[in-house]
Amino acid sequence: MKSVRHSDDGRQDAAPSEAQALSEAEKSREALVEDTLLKNYQTYYHLALSYVHNEPDASDIVQNGAYRAMRASLQLKNGDYVETWVYRIMLNEIFRFVKSPAKRETSWEDLLADGFDRGANDTYLEVDLQGAMNRLSPDEQAILELRYFEDRKLEDIADILDVNPSTVKSKLYRSLSKLREILQ
Amino acid sequence: MSKQDKRNLEWERFAAERFGDEKKAYEAPQMSDEGYAKMKAAIERAKQENRAQREAETHGPSVPETPIDVESKTLGKVETLKSSTKKRAKNPTKRSAWKRASLAVAAVFALLILLPNTSATVAHAMGTVPGLGKLVSVITFRDYSYHDAYDSAEVHVGEIGVNENAKADKQVKQNAKQSAQEINAEVQKLTDQYVKEFQANLADEGYQDMLVKSENVLTTDNYFTLKLIAYEGAGSGSEFDRYYTIDLRTGKRLKLQDLFRDGADYIAPVSKEIKRQMKAQMAADPDVMYWLDSDVSAWNFKAIDADTEFYVNAKGCLVISFDEGKVAPMYMGVVTFEIPDRVIDGIRK
Repeated sequence: MKSVRHSDDGRQDAAPSEAQALSEAEKSREALVEDTLLKNYQTYYHLALSYVHNEPDASDIVQNGAYRAMRASLQLKNGDYVETWVYRIMLNEIFRFVKSPAKRETSWEDLLADGFDRGANDTYLEVDLQGAMNRLSPDEQAILELRYFEDRKLEDIADILDVNPSTVKSKLYRSLSKLREILQ
Repeated sequence: MSKQDKRNLEWERFAAERFGDEKKAYEAPQMSDEGYAKMKAAIERAKQENRAQREAETHGPSVPETPIDVESKTLGKVETLKSSTKKRAKNPTKRSAWKRASLAVAAVFALLILLPNTSATVAHAMGTVPGLGKLVSVITFRDYSYHDAYDSAEVHVGEIGVNENAKADKQVKQNAKQSAQEINAEVQKLTDQYVKEFQANLADEGYQDMLVKSENVLTTDNYFTLKLIAYEGAGSGSEFDRYYTIDLRTGKRLKLQDLFRDGADYIAPVSKEIKRQMKAQMAADPDVMYWLDSDVSAWNFKAIDADTEFYVNAKGCLVISFDEGKVAPMYMGVVTFEIPDRVIDGIRK
């Protein structure tokens, strides 16, 4: 499905009190965040899916993240960082989902299920990449995916995850070596 | 090139290869039309709430406050999140600018109000008293809700009360009222603690994800059990479950020892059964782990005690519950063990 830019002419004709409720600056912040969401939602969806492995949950995560980002858009002061900012909100939403007790059963079962790939001719259990990734911690998985699937620079990843670039680098290599071990 | 650099290069090559292969599979799934529509709807909802919030700030609240009694507290908007002074390694200018952007004033809803249990109210209005005959039930809820870009809290906790129309002795009803009061006080204390800590940590970096909610536990006709789930997700995340039980025959709170004959040793047989189940589960599934024979003997489960969390399920069986990390590694979550009747038949009351 294409990323459709929805025009919101209809909504400009809101009741007078509504139109005045937000300042021009706030309206533009909202629009900025909305645009970012509509442009990049498939990316957030892919990220979410790589953790939860089912469409409804991945969709829920993106929805919740979108809601949260729009509500928080009033506070966004620096438009230059909106993409990174929304990314961070989406990742937090994913982490929140993966760690929440309400969802714990699903994600734990998924982790167990995806840990092993039943190959008929294998003399030992072979693990596929997705399964191996799920064995890492949520942020290690995020670093790998942002780097190799989303092609983000280490600096950007550091901003998104709110850590030092050197931390990202060392976590990256550490998780790569873990990955190699699991996949070997 | 140093040894470490060589290794890193090797890993990078390995990664580029493996991930390159996987990228197509990763990018293939597309969000469904339904999912997309729901996302648009969520965006719209947020926009409306933004306007409503600004409206409320300039013109006063437009939503009439629910009639509530004096115990409710309405917290105002949470004010400024203080900018963090955490050190940054590189590009301090760029990073602090962004920090300021994202940690600016977070004025979002934070309400702590008492809501009537609307399903109970509706049922009553329709001529049926909810839980007809039930001595104890949840009559109101205390709610707290806070959401911003990084922090999230949801509190939805029931307060219990005694049904005046229930068929029971006056003494039983009196006992029940006292039990309900005690339980409500304990639950409120715990809830307030979580909320207070949550609010105190709002200025910190990192995210918080707090949840406190209550559930009615399905149990036999003899008992009413309220389960309280408290969870704080910052860092590794941790869940506590608490069970509050009232014996409906006496109106008194049920302690674990009350299930057994006076003086009977219930600790030994129950503990032994739990260990048996732990061993069996670990043997059946290598990913299940309990602290039973670990190297850290202090962590190993030895026995339950009089204060161990428990409840009686709908089958009438005793269920023991342990908080995360208590008898098993944290990843196991909260663990429960149903104790079969044959284990404690001889000593059950």
